[in-house]
Parts: sequence; C-alpha cells; structure tokens
Amino acid sequence: FCRLYGGYEYPQQAGFVPPDMMQQQPYTGQIYQPTQGYTPASAQSFYGSNFEDEPPLLEELGINFDHIWQKTLTVLHPLKVADGSIMNETDLAGPMVFCLAFGATLLLAGKIQFGSVYGISAIGCLAMFCLLNLMSVTGVSFGCVASVLGYCLLPMILLSSFAILFSLQGMLGIILTAGIIGWCSFSASKIFISALAMEGQQLLVAYPCALLYGVFALISVF
Amino acid sequence: QGGGSAVIDMENMDDTSGSSFEDMGEMHQRMKEEEEEEAEGEAGAGEEEDGEFLGMKGLRGQLGRQVADQMWQVGKRQASRAFSLYANIDILRPYFDVEPVQVRARLLESMIPVKMINFPQKIAGELYGPLMLVFTLVAILLHGMKTSDTIIREGTLMGTAIGTCFGYWLGVSSFMYFLAYLCNAQITMVQMLSLLGYGLFGHCVTLFVTYNIHFHSLFYIFWLVVGGLSTLRMVAVLVSRTVGHTQRLILCGTLAALHMLFLLYLHFAYHKVVEGILDTLEGPNMPPFQRVARDIPVVSNAVLNTTAKAIALTL
Repeated sequence: FCRLYGGYEYPQQAGFVPPDMMQQQPYTGQIYQPTQGYTPASAQSFYGSNFEDEPPLLEELGINFDHIWQKTLTVLHPLKVADGSIMNETDLAGPMVFCLAFGATLLLAGKIQFGSVYGISAIGCLAMFCLLNLMSVTGVSFGCVASVLGYCLLPMILLSSFAILFSLQGMLGIILTAGIIGWCSFSASKIFISALAMEGQQLLVAYPCALLYGVFALISVF
Repeated sequence: QGGGSAVIDMENMDDTSGSSFEDMGEMHQRMKEEEEEEAEGEAGAGEEEDGEFLGMKGLRGQLGRQVADQMWQVGKRQASRAFSLYANIDILRPYFDVEPVQVRARLLESMIPVKMINFPQKIAGELYGPLMLVFTLVAILLHGMKTSDTIIREGTLMGTAIGTCFGYWLGVSSFMYFLAYLCNAQITMVQMLSLLGYGLFGHCVTLFVTYNIHFHSLFYIFWLVVGGLSTLRMVAVLVSRTVGHTQRLILCGTLAALHMLFLLYLHFAYHKVVEGILDTLEGPNMPPFQRVARDIPVVSNAVLNTTAKAIALTL
C-alpha cells in the first residue's frame, strides 16, 4: 500500500512546478510537445486551481497557428529543403481544415462529395501507413502519415477552386492537373524522405502519393 | 519481445504456465481458502449471523471480481501473443526493399520474353512493383469509368475497381500456384504474385492508351502485341520451371487464357460509351438518347388520350 501512495504523490508534486514555467514561456514557442512529461500532470493539477492559471484554449487544444503556417509554407515551396523535425508533433487541425476547404470548393463547383473525400483520405492514409512501415527502417505513426498527406493536399484546393470557374476537361486542364498532382506528391515524398531518412527512395514514395492525389484530382475534374 | 523478427520462436509458443485451466483452478482454490480464513476471523469478532452473512456476501463479490480480473488478464495475454504472431507485418518487410532502378529494370523486362527455357529463369520475389501496378490499374479503371460516366448500381466505383484488380491479382495467383503445385512446377507463392503483378504492366499501358483514344482496331492491335508480349514472358518463365509436356501445356494455357481474357474484359466492361459514340459517328442513325426520348411522347400521348376519354365518360 505504501508504494501505491508514493507513486500517486510524485506526479502531483511535479505538477505544481509547470504552471509557473508555462506562464513564463512565450506563446509562440514550443507548445504541447507530446514528448514533454508535464502535460498529463498539469492537467491533473489544474483541476482545482483558479481561472488565471489555466492555459489559453488554443494551447490546451494543441493548435499552434505559427506551426501550421510554417508547415503550409514548406508544402507551398516544393524546392525548399524540408526539416525532418517538423513532423514530430502530430497535428491534425491543419489537415482537417484543408480537407474541409477541399470539400467546400468542390461544393462551390456543384459537386457534393464530402463522403468521397473522407473515404478516399481514410483508405489512402491507411495504405500509405502500411507501405511506409514496410519500406522504412524506423517505423512511422499513423498520425504522422495522416498529417503529412493532409498538409500536402493544399495544392489540390487550388485545382478545385480553378475548376469552379473553368472546366478542366480540355488540354489545359490535363496539363494543370498533372502539374498539381506532381507538386502534391513531390512535397509529400520530400517530407517523408526527410522525416524517415530514406535517401534514394524518393521516387518510390512519390509514386503511391501521386496515385492517391490522382484520385482526388479525378473527383475535382469529373 | 521479439516482435521485430520473422522467425517463430517455438519455445514461447509452448509456454502455458499461468494460462491453463489447471492453474486457474489452483489460483481459484488458493484465493477461496484465503478468503475463508479472513471471513472466519471477521465473523468471530462481530455478531455471528450478520457478520457471517455479510462476510459471505462480501467474500463472493470480492472473489468474483478477482476471478474475473484474472480471467481478463489471461485472455488479454493470450490474444496479444496470438496477434503479435499472426498479424506481424514485419514478415513482408524484405519484399519491399527495392531501389527505383531495380523497379524500372523489372518493368521493362516484363515485356521481353526470354529465349532460354531449358534453364529455370530467375523471378524476383518482390512485392512493391506488383502492388504499385495493381493500384495503377485501379486508378486507370477509375479514370475510364469516370470519363464514360459508368453507373454502378450496387456498389461504388472505387469498390468495384479495387475489387476487380485485387481479386484478379490475388485470386489468379492463388489458382495458378495451386495448378503449379499439381503440375510440379518450381515456383513459390511470392514469386507467382510477383510474376503476375509485373504482367499487369502490359494491361496498364494498353488500357491507358485505349481508354483515351477510341478505336476498336487500335485496341485489338494493343491487345495482341502488348498483352501477348507480357503473356509470352510469363509463359516462358513458367515453362522453364516445369518438367513434362502435359504439365507445361496445362499451366501455360491456363495462364495465357486468363491473362488475355482479363484484358478483353477490362476494356469492354468498364468503358461502355465507346460503342455508342462509334455508332453515332458512323452513319445517319439517330443517337441512342434521342431514340429513347422519342418513344416516351408516344406512350404519354396514349396515356393522355385514354385518361381524357375516361374522364369524358364519367362526366
């Protein structure tokens, strides 16, 4: 019995330290890193504390706009070298926003395809997760795969917004679609390669990504 | 825990300590005896009847909970052991270790029939290339169905495409492996999957071209040349690994028939508009849609006339 009480005491003691530390850190710093051990204890210690000690809502939810913006810029500049450590925090807020924006632009073009977008992204993430786990030396988590694929969907939103005004079924549409698919898959494979340290296999990772984004493009075009 | 190895450790499989019924029975007995001792001690302190009653009830509840807990832990341990043994995806890991150069070389080789059939030809036991080719075929089928506005009544476009392609790859590979086992051919399941998967490269090329350029004669030329080349390659490899004329004939005939017929099926089943467009472009015939639209006014006029007569009669 003594050992049990000792075990429960310890995180509560540690939990009284973080509120002061977190208030002193600037907001745009590293927040809600899953690797930090403070967060579960701090959630316990906040249970009885007063209102001023609670962290801001976005910080508690783990939505950091600065990081989302940085990752978006990494996707939009295909020739910029990706930093492998940006994918350490699994952030699904950005991809969720991008999927909804994609569905919204399709809606503006008269296609109600939210179900297809959801189904294809779920199946695609699962397939990429299995494939990357088989191909890489270190494993990869499902959240990381979903996060990367979601961020790289951004150029596809440009394609579907173009499809609102102009039809994509001519020669110009084919060239534009091919270019956007190449852009998306190049960015996704670049981030995967740098995060999983798989040099020399960028083409092998880019091809399945291109197939997945090709299916999204099919929904936009037809 | 050894979850990363592809080798099955039989020692751990035979370890049943703490998980068999005899051990459970023993634990149950031991716990019951402990509880009985405690209950006896408690019953002696308070009122006899009530104390015993409470003690027995508390004993049963607590014992039941502990037994349930034990059974849950035992079951969980067994399930996780079985899961880590059978659902170990690491078994497939060596088959995905490829370089882009190798994949490209194998793709090109799949269209070149080998000449030397007296010596068993080497088959690369790799699954990345075939898997990607199957997914490419799915994408091409989807593209063909979308451009021709094919409507699938019971199911979805994606489900049909995936089911067809994966069903062909896995089903025909298993069937050919079974036939190869009957005909004493030297080929493993992974090699069969790999061979058939790379054979789909010809299908992908043919369908990609003919779904976009609609000429029947062009399709038949591609079917014979491209489909024929990839079939010849697979047939040559199988012949080099089989002994005996009858066995060779059975194996190669079946594979050739299935492979070529599959390409024929894919072209005609998933791109129906081809026929309609060609008919309308050829002569002064009425387009099919107009023909259907023309029938309806006749029917509706007849209906209108009969209802008007019926109303006139009743009035």
